[in-house]
Amino acid sequence: MPKQLLQGNQAIAMAAEVAGVKFFAGYPITPASEIIHEMVNKRHIKVLQMEDEIASINAVIGASLAGLKAMTATSGPGFSLMQESIGLAHIMEVPLVIVNVQRVGPSTGMPTLPAQGDIIQCKHGSHGDYFPIVFYPNSVAELYKYTVMAFNAAEESLSPVILLSDGYISHLYETIVPHRDFEVVKRTRPPLGTGNRHFTGLSHENSVVKTADADNYRRLIASLQEKQQLTAQRYNYYEYCACTKETDTLLISFGALSRVAYYFRNDFALYRPIRMYPLVEEIKTIAARYKRILMMEMNTGQYVHEIESILRREIQFIPILGGCIDLGEIKREIARVG
Amino acid sequence: MSTVERRGSSLYVKSLRLYFMNTDINYKRYLKLDLLPTPWCPGCGNGIVLKAVCQAFDELNLPKEGTVIVSGIGCAGRSAGFFDLDSVHTAHGRAIPVAEGIKYANDALTVVVLSGDGDLLGIGGNHLLHAIRRNTNITVVCYANEIYGMTGGQVSPLTPHNAKTVTSPLGNADFPIDVQSYFKNRNSYFARTTAFHLNHLKKSIVEALKFKGFSFVEARTMCIVNYGRRVGYKNSHEMLMHYKEFYKVSDDTEELSQNEIGILRHTAGL
Ligand SMILES: Cc1ncc(C[n+]2csc(CCOP(=O)(O)OP(=O)(O)O)c2C)c(N)n1
Ligand code: SF4
Ligand SMILES: [Mg+2]
Repeated sequence: MPKQLLQGNQAIAMAAEVAGVKFFAGYPITPASEIIHEMVNKRHIKVLQMEDEIASINAVIGASLAGLKAMTATSGPGFSLMQESIGLAHIMEVPLVIVNVQRVGPSTGMPTLPAQGDIIQCKHGSHGDYFPIVFYPNSVAELYKYTVMAFNAAEESLSPVILLSDGYISHLYETIVPHRDFEVVKRTRPPLGTGNRHFTGLSHENSVVKTADADNYRRLIASLQEKQQLTAQRYNYYEYCACTKETDTLLISFGALSRVAYYFRNDFALYRPIRMYPLVEEIKTIAARYKRILMMEMNTGQYVHEIESILRREIQFIPILGGCIDLGEIKREIARVG
Repeated sequence: MSTVERRGSSLYVKSLRLYFMNTDINYKRYLKLDLLPTPWCPGCGNGIVLKAVCQAFDELNLPKEGTVIVSGIGCAGRSAGFFDLDSVHTAHGRAIPVAEGIKYANDALTVVVLSGDGDLLGIGGNHLLHAIRRNTNITVVCYANEIYGMTGGQVSPLTPHNAKTVTSPLGNADFPIDVQSYFKNRNSYFARTTAFHLNHLKKSIVEALKFKGFSFVEARTMCIVNYGRRVGYKNSHEMLMHYKEFYKVSDDTEELSQNEIGILRHTAGL
């Protein structure tokens, strides 16, 4: 397999094809548009440019129920618009993949620059309780790999899986070896038009709506939660680099920012969640080895609360707000909290 | 002939049996009868439209396999759950894009959207415009009760000017959408019909299903509980009688005036 120079977004599109995507619906937005540009040139993939992101996610839901592996790609503003229907896809158990290439928000923010401001939105953006599986790679090669994993996890869990990226890694060019020899999970549920099932956003049991049965609702949510946890266990992805020297500090980061963290590999141990949700349990045993935990992310503090609550420990937090990643600034901030 | 004699005649019995076999029994095969009753109020017109949809299916002998119903949210949106077919009950306003995704994923399917006027013209209005633009080959039946029924009777995009509703206590300041205007200069099918004109209602749906391209049926129907009684109707029968008096059938025309029902087929660009 020859090496190829690929942009992050190109790698996502290539990998989606490998994973068996047959339907794409989206709406143009920086820094995600290259994905739809790539998709329209692929044979055997139906691509719709919809009127907005709400239409996009809903067309993807329809296509997936009709039997095709389906995806959409967007950035923060579009991801916000999709939220209601993401909840719908969870309760209707529709497998699909949403790529969110994060840019600086809130609102239109700084459209061309990277940020990590949508972490909490992935988990809590829609109303009600649901349990998404979310991956966040940090290189072009990883975008390629985890796009395939996202599709597999979606099929196994029958749920919408989110692949996070950011304006930095999606626009990065790197040489990768685009393998095609992944195990690809096939669709098993029969497509629409073959039975008499009712897919509904109302609380339900076996295709029958139950709008006033709290016991049934609780069973439904519990079973969805269990299913998500069980599937996630098979996608237990994280990166841990023990320090080359003796250290009492673990530095946690992810996505674009974690690439800069490698600079500190001789000073601190490094931890990087790749499966952002549900949280990787191994962080507990890894963190137990270190007296001090440092964490940085490109927001004012989103994932740090998740880490704090799973570890039940205090964490030294360094917010590196979106728009620019500067090693000098990071060094100064680390010195300041240290 | 006395009534008793007539009832006893075999011709009468035969015709009765035929009537029930052909019109009153067969359409039920499209429904999950064990889920009845519907959640709709006594006197609601939704059941009439639902029945007409099934009768249209029956007339075309649509196979259950290969037919998919999609609904949005609202009283009308509860239609999907009663069909003995695969069906999807989407979020409020999103039935059309879900239906389009289904149709583009598998062109062999017959995809039918059943939803309310608020759902399809209000919150989902933009999707309707673009489904017309894309001319997606699906059929939409709009339960046009001129109100947001489910949420208690607020102004909808079809509420008449001056009508008093819970959100327009002094009368609706705005004018309703003239839905047919969306379909001009398009290759498209638009029908306006009512819950009173049963044959016309069924025919409008049958022709919509037969149409190759995007088809839309605006079926005027009664929400007695959250609309009719507040604008002066004693019961839904009075609303039906209003449809009877007010609307005149005018098929094969270019444009329907306010008091006309009919089928419009535009073939622009063909
Ligand atoms: C996003 C969202 N906003 C508001 C609602 C509340 N809601 C439920 S049904 C409905 C109106 C439905 O009106 P229409 O489509 O005309 O259906 P009808 O009940 O009249 O049949 C509204 C506003 C909702 N479910 N979702
Ligand atoms: S509120 Fe109106 S539309 Fe809804 S079920 Fe009752 S009568 Fe029908
Ligand atoms: Mg209505």
